Amino acid sequence: GTTELTGSTNLITHYNLEHAYNKFCGKKVKEKLSNFLPDLPGMIDLPGSHDNSSLRSLIEKPPICSSSFTPLTGTTLTGFRLHAGPLPEQCRLMHIQPPKKKNKHKHKQSRTQDPVPPETPSDSDHKKKKKKKEEDPERKRKKKEKKKKKNRHSPEHPGVGSSQASSSS
Amino acid sequence: MAEKFDSLEEHLEKFVENIRQLGIIVSDFQPSSQAGLNQKLNFMVTGLQDIDKCRQQLHDISVPLEVFEYIDQGRNPQLYTKECLERALAKNEQVKGKIDTMKKFKSLLIQELTKVFPEDMAKYKAVRGEDPPP
Repeated sequence: GTTELTGSTNLITHYNLEHAYNKFCGKKVKEKLSNFLPDLPGMIDLPGSHDNSSLRSLIEKPPICSSSFTPLTGTTLTGFRLHAGPLPEQCRLMHIQPPKKKNKHKHKQSRTQDPVPPETPSDSDHKKKKKKKEEDPERKRKKKEKKKKKNRHSPEHPGVGSSQASSSS
Repeated sequence: MAEKFDSLEEHLEKFVENIRQLGIIVSDFQPSSQAGLNQKLNFMVTGLQDIDKCRQQLHDISVPLEVFEYIDQGRNPQLYTKECLERALAKNEQVKGKIDTMKKFKSLLIQELTKVFPEDMAKYKAVRGEDPPP
């Protein structure tokens, strides 16, 4: 029959996906995961296989856990009494980036309400300096990457209606 | 449609932020931070509880496994959508080309057959009915 849906119809138009097509194929989509989730802390652009954080491993070997969520009580919390002092370098979460500009105001506000007492002045200066140093090379690298991306030609996008001789519906 | 994701997104953001703060506390621990640490540990539990509650609203949502490949490689999952749409259009065009070629071939074949076997082709057309033009 000739009324059945075949490849001779523009299926993107048929399924009302023109808007989606233009949105994703009409302009450049940024490459990195961090472009999609800019506020997520940590080095999310690293492959999941490197630090055992892959979604694939979650599916292939789902963790065995109970079905209930019980809050930690006094006795269970004793296991979390920590020793004072800084962690050794390799355990330090140095790769955790501070939140981007938008959240920094929120972050500052929450700090004043935070039950955690402020660090000693010498420590906080040291940390602030360290954080700034980390940020600057990161920012420079990101700026360089942005410049490189801008210089590339933008990809030609095929017109949606270009393949058909007759319009559908 | 997007509203049911908003709640989940909000819970996830709060959960992640809590973990991030935990990391900061732990990286240079002071005994006076113990209470705060305990509070945040318990927020991890309630946070997971809240995320789990979101499941009901989203039970009908399916995620293609191929997207996970992109995420695991640190790539934007929107590239998956983009590549799906591009492949769909390319395949669409390819198949349309084949269909058009076959239609042309059919009409040419009928034309030539009619020249050689006019009576038989007249019977054929009577049985088949008039085909619409390609």
